[in-house]
Amino acid sequence: MISTKNIRFSYSKEQEFIFPDLYCEAGNTLLITGDSGKGKTTYLHILAGFFKPSKGEVEIDKTNIVSLTEQATDKFRGKHIGVVFQKSHFIAALTVLENLEMASWLATGKKHTKRAKKLLEQLGIENQASKLPSQLSIGQQQRVSIARALLNEPKVLLADEPTSSLDDKNAEKVIELLTSLSIEYKASLIIVTHDSRITKKFINKITLV
Amino acid sequence: MITKLAWKNIWFKPLSTILSVILLTSSVAIITTLILVEKQFEEKFASNIEDVDLVLGAQGSPLQLILSSVYQVDAPTGNINYDSAKVWMEHPFVEKAIPLAFGDNYRGYKILGTTHDYLTKYKAKLAEGKLFEKNFEVVVGSEIAQKLSLKVDDKFFGSHGDAAEGEVHDQYAYKIVGIANPTGKVVDNLILCTIPSVWQMHHHHDENPAHGEEGHIHEEGEVHQEEVDMTLDEPNMEITAVLLKIRNQMAKLTWQRVIPQNTKMQAVSPAFEINRLFGLFGIGVTALQYLAYGIMLISGISIFIALFNTLKERKSEFALLRVNGAGRFQLLKVVMIESLLLCVVGFIFGTILGRIALSLLSNSSEEDFKMSFNPYEFLWQKEGTLFLVTIFVGFIAALIPAIKAYNLNISKTLANA
Repeated sequence: MISTKNIRFSYSKEQEFIFPDLYCEAGNTLLITGDSGKGKTTYLHILAGFFKPSKGEVEIDKTNIVSLTEQATDKFRGKHIGVVFQKSHFIAALTVLENLEMASWLATGKKHTKRAKKLLEQLGIENQASKLPSQLSIGQQQRVSIARALLNEPKVLLADEPTSSLDDKNAEKVIELLTSLSIEYKASLIIVTHDSRITKKFINKITLV
Repeated sequence: MITKLAWKNIWFKPLSTILSVILLTSSVAIITTLILVEKQFEEKFASNIEDVDLVLGAQGSPLQLILSSVYQVDAPTGNINYDSAKVWMEHPFVEKAIPLAFGDNYRGYKILGTTHDYLTKYKAKLAEGKLFEKNFEVVVGSEIAQKLSLKVDDKFFGSHGDAAEGEVHDQYAYKIVGIANPTGKVVDNLILCTIPSVWQMHHHHDENPAHGEEGHIHEEGEVHQEEVDMTLDEPNMEITAVLLKIRNQMAKLTWQRVIPQNTKMQAVSPAFEINRLFGLFGIGVTALQYLAYGIMLISGISIFIALFNTLKERKSEFALLRVNGAGRFQLLKVVMIESLLLCVVGFIFGTILGRIALSLLSNSSEEDFKMSFNPYEFLWQKEGTLFLVTIFVGFIAALIPAIKAYNLNISKTLANA
């Protein structure tokens, strides 16, 4: 469960973003759309706790992450927030499986190898586990990102333009995986996108203007 | 896990890693070798001049006299008359006088005529057999005995002078009566006998000046049967040098002036000459040390450049680690550990390489100067300091990249990626 109240943020004095409140139950999906420059990514980064808004609250599972210290935010994010980016980022020196293990170790102190393998299997990429991320196709990389985001069974799954660099087939597959897995893992899924292939499919959306 | 990540990261870029490690290894190896050589060299030199206040010998280079008579590494300056040396040896200021007469060699190892005091001075006990009493009885140093596998009661012929290829004196055979314990000093590489043995061996030549130096063959027992063994009381004989232990402090100084003024001999203080020698060495050692630290500086710069360059590519990696719950401090740690791992690896390789170099050096110095170094000695204090210096270089090299990683702005990095 995630909800926000009166979020405001400004990079400079001339421009202030006033973001609409949002609310998303566990297992539900919410789309944030809007044209470029309207602050979609900024809103997502605030939800993920990458930086703090000048005003307002972000409540995830009864914790207001705006009030946490930076260190506590890092820990909270690791445990309860999964993020999927437009372009997949990996630790290039580690294999796919080690990348996943690293993610769970940073958040929980344990490697959760079993869970990682199970997720890779669910996503149909278990045979890529011992490859380096750079050896995978973009579609496969994006699936590994999803596995990593879900690995610690987060309360919130944030996706920033997850399909924009994918072809139709892969985009559809990724969206399907995101929605079905967020239901299975009981996470609130928030997708930031301007991809019309997705926007048609969801009713629940906020448009930034 | 952080260390594992750091370890994987450094081997993900093997070329720059290997460059840094090679640079570190070579600088550490040079410094380690220098440290060990300098220490063991000084130790060897210092331990050999214990209880020798002055060396009495023929006039010439004082350093040469010390090197030849105390360390057995150079040719002697010449001979001195035993009778005139005796005047000083029996002087009341002298606590102990050990005469030395250089004779022949056996397969490159010097045969030295002296008294039992010589063994006492080096605290060399006999491992086997007894001391030399009669002429041509010898006590063999431990290292020679081991290398040439000599035993008590073995006999051998010496070659003239200090070259193994010298003319063989085959009219008298030396007989081994004792083998000394190892001392770590020059005595390990010497064959000791009485002074009259040396005289008697060469006496023959003086009487037969017509003999060619090479290729003369004696038929065993032909001429020498009637000859009587010589003793120390033989008049007008020559020796090479005398090691003196002086009772009187003033005499130590005044004799160095008085003896060359009044006789054909000189008296030299080994401690003074050795300090002078180290002074000369010191310049070379210091220059090498600067060179080694220079290489270390370069390796530090190479680590810095490697970390700094990859930091740009790895910005998104670091942001990702933060997204997955890593704190700023953990990022700083990754960069630091990477650099320190390189330094530790470089130090370990360097320490090993330095010791390999030293054992090679030891082999060649063993052949040329009968001086060996022990590569397995660890000088905890100096090598510990070197380790700390190495680690410090790694720390400094990683400082700026680590701080950059610490200050990374996740949002900006991810938005621009």
